[in-house]
Amino acid sequence: MFLPSHDEIKRAIVDGDVDKARSLANSLIEQGGDLLAAIEHGFSAGIRKVGDLWEEGEYFLPELVQGAEAMKAAMEILQPALATQQGAQEPKGRVVIGTVEGDLHDIGKSLVGTLLAANGFEVHDLGSNVPVATYIEKAREVDADIVAASALLTTTMSVQKSLAEAVVAAGLARGPRVLIGGAPTTEAWATEIGATHAENAMRAVGKAERMVRSHD
Amino acid sequence: MSGLAERLVDGPCVLLDGGMGSMLLARGLAPGDAPERMNLRQPEVVTEVHVEYVEAGSDAVQTNTFGANPIRLAHFDLAERCEEINRRATDLARQARPRFVIGDIGPTGEYLPPVGTGDVVRWDEGFEMQGRALIEAGVDALHIETMSDLREAEVALRAVRRSSTEIPVMVSLTFDRKKRGFFTIMGDPLVESLTRLVSDGATVVGANCSIASPDLRDLAAEAQSGVPGRLVFQPNAGSPETTAGGIRYSQAPEEFAADLAPVAAAGAAAIGGCCGTDPRFIAALRRRMDGDQG
Repeated sequence: MFLPSHDEIKRAIVDGDVDKARSLANSLIEQGGDLLAAIEHGFSAGIRKVGDLWEEGEYFLPELVQGAEAMKAAMEILQPALATQQGAQEPKGRVVIGTVEGDLHDIGKSLVGTLLAANGFEVHDLGSNVPVATYIEKAREVDADIVAASALLTTTMSVQKSLAEAVVAAGLARGPRVLIGGAPTTEAWATEIGATHAENAMRAVGKAERMVRSHD
Repeated sequence: MSGLAERLVDGPCVLLDGGMGSMLLARGLAPGDAPERMNLRQPEVVTEVHVEYVEAGSDAVQTNTFGANPIRLAHFDLAERCEEINRRATDLARQARPRFVIGDIGPTGEYLPPVGTGDVVRWDEGFEMQGRALIEAGVDALHIETMSDLREAEVALRAVRRSSTEIPVMVSLTFDRKKRGFFTIMGDPLVESLTRLVSDGATVVGANCSIASPDLRDLAAEAQSGVPGRLVFQPNAGSPETTAGGIRYSQAPEEFAADLAPVAAAGAAAIGGCCGTDPRFIAALRRRMDGDQG
């Protein structure tokens, strides 16, 4: 058997082929491949390509989600092996994510969660219609770096503000930052409520990375 | 018969209403609560909003039932009251004395795999229940709207058609503008998707939400030249902006009406507004439509 090439790995992610991504991850481990290089030039390159195709309007939500699922499946296999190879890996950060109370829109939020997990964050997804108190409770329990909240309705955006206030008021250990998104949300709104805004799921990853870096 | 069917098929453009959720929020709906609960708890407020649209010139008002399918209502512990809510909402719309009442049907909020875990059999049952309740309550037509997945729109259309093959059914999808044209977030292309809904038995097809009226003019031109049937459009009032006073949309009523009136004049079956529109937008459209015709 040959060691999978970075191009082959990338193609599995771009095609959203979960089974293929899993088997490539397994054969990398079995054959002692360079996991970090495969993640950087194969898997991550693939998910970046998926994001580009989406921004270009060539891919739509199903392809984007399928690509992220393939990435996640591979990372679930690779992360424990990496930890053995290189000693325990700390996640990039801990994220508590959900769609605010009264809002049932799930996809954008779930996609952000999947992409964050695929990019090395520890993600705790609370689902949709999440009360402010539930976010705070979970953030305290997992010692979160980021509390991420989606709102897709102009009628539920105001809950993001209540959440941002509650996060400050709760005085949590790591003083988590608040990341918001959703169709009606804007940079100006985020600034007004003291949060960071992500205009789409792909950008949320970069924003989250900057948020945890500025945190240390 | 109310005459709406004939009007939609070959009569003058029907002026619909505008946004409902933001109007209810301004009148006491708690952020995060189901707007449909207002039909039970504060019915007079719902009627008041309908009256404002009728006074602004709407030919037809749409029932406050966007989220009144049992799947969505279940999130608010209201699933068991689905039929009651749809019935009450129809009565409340009727009390405003519009020429026509249209039963509004929004999406379940769920998505099919791999995006979500939605199940078409449950969707079908839910839409059938809501559609039948609205039809039995006496709506003049149904409007299945804000659908971002052609498959969900088709499930809803087939489900309501089981209760009546006669009632006019409008179906609107939500499109985004991409480099290659207009698509739903699921990748359903504009002309092909609307054409398919026509062959599935929709009386009128079209687009609502997301797209603001300047983009909508392009979308409408494309649809009008490619889709074999009459069309309905309900765009947003530009894009949302946050201000000290809360959320507002970027377009003024006159601007919105200036973009949309030519779409009506070009033969649309029905037009109205979606997010960010209120009775001022409908009044502005009414003035232009009457001007165009007279």
